[in-house]
Amino acid sequence: MNNLRWLKVFFAYLLCFALQLTVAKWLQIFEVGPDFVIILTVTIAIKFGPAAGCFWGFLAGFSQDVYAPIEWFGAHTIAMTVLGFLVGQLEERFLTLNLPTKVVVLAIGFFLCDMIYFLLTGLQKDVVTNLFFSKTIPECIYTVIVGAVVFYLSSGKKKSRHV
Amino acid sequence: MLRAFRFIIDLFTQRHGIVAFVFFLLLGFTMRQSPEAVKKNIVASILDTVFYPAQMLLSSVDAYRSVAAENEQLKEENARLRQETYYASEGLQELARLHTLVRFDDKWDFPIVTARVVGHNPGRFLTTLVINRGTHHGVKENMPVFSMNGLVGKITKAAYSHSRVQLLTDPNLKLSVIERKSRVVGFLESVDGRLLTAMIPSHAGVKVGDTLITSGLGGIFPKGIPVGTVKSVRLADLDVMRLMDVDPFQEFYTLEEVFVMEKDPEWIIQELLDE
Repeated sequence: MNNLRWLKVFFAYLLCFALQLTVAKWLQIFEVGPDFVIILTVTIAIKFGPAAGCFWGFLAGFSQDVYAPIEWFGAHTIAMTVLGFLVGQLEERFLTLNLPTKVVVLAIGFFLCDMIYFLLTGLQKDVVTNLFFSKTIPECIYTVIVGAVVFYLSSGKKKSRHV
Repeated sequence: MLRAFRFIIDLFTQRHGIVAFVFFLLLGFTMRQSPEAVKKNIVASILDTVFYPAQMLLSSVDAYRSVAAENEQLKEENARLRQETYYASEGLQELARLHTLVRFDDKWDFPIVTARVVGHNPGRFLTTLVINRGTHHGVKENMPVFSMNGLVGKITKAAYSHSRVQLLTDPNLKLSVIERKSRVVGFLESVDGRLLTAMIPSHAGVKVGDTLITSGLGGIFPKGIPVGTVKSVRLADLDVMRLMDVDPFQEFYTLEEVFVMEKDPEWIIQELLDE
């Protein structure tokens, strides 16, 4: 990434957190809202590769951990770092993903991130099952819908090579 | 400086990002394994220097829509009156039960500080709020926080101009509660950072729709603050106990203003906390 891109991503990161703290709250339906932070991490990882994915994933996870219960501290950070690295393997420099593929990647990434998070927090099996059905699945669907719009807008009219 | 920055980036991007991945993963695990005091220090320093100013800025957008100080004063008065009404009904119930006049020493005569919610955790499990009142306004750690509807949580960290509020949904917060009618004591917690669960003895006969209030036994929260209503009742691992899902009176996602009760923990609790 060149300096200008770093700056752009940094502003996108700030914007994303502003959205997460304001717009996400207004968009909530039955306490289910989109996760702009995961959308940003996946977008950056696809666009700039695994190293950038790790870095911004780490930063995004850490920002969430600052407010999380102290006993869960670090769980978001690790989950988002892994997400950034894995999604970064699909870097656009080497292959171009079409919109449906990006959406599938976002959905898988979302589940993966939650699974790592639940694993690290050491929650009981029945609690995780309950959270999976009441929180993970609805929020994943909502995030994927919002993510599809973001991917569509960010890709513009760029011609894409299907995978 | 720029060269050093470039060198680090080149190093990290080598081998398809594996260096960066290992580095950040190790950093993450180090954070996770570090002692609680270190974790608290990291959180406090980042929150005070980076997040609070940013969230303050964001919340000022909302401030334009909110009403001014006069409104705040009215809300404070309203909250106090509501709490007093609750206290009065509690007192009447107790009087009727005891048939004697008693002197209550758990009367709520504590001053109240009105605070605006300026931030919350950006994660998907809402467990923390940041309010715009700190030690400068008389707020201290472990002071109860409530809203017009009911209990919200307690202060876990008070800085000069802002404080962190630990919500009832934080798994680290355990609360002693009593059921209003049966007066049986139980305890309330959140195991998953989202739902509130109460554990109350089976013989109390608590059923759906019953009200839970603070018991005053923990030494931090005064007796009688409304907490929530029982949503569902199920068997616990032990037959003598019942587990119940609790609907809090206060919806945490929509909180804009809260009230901090300037009540210090009782001396025995304070000693334990100091230890």
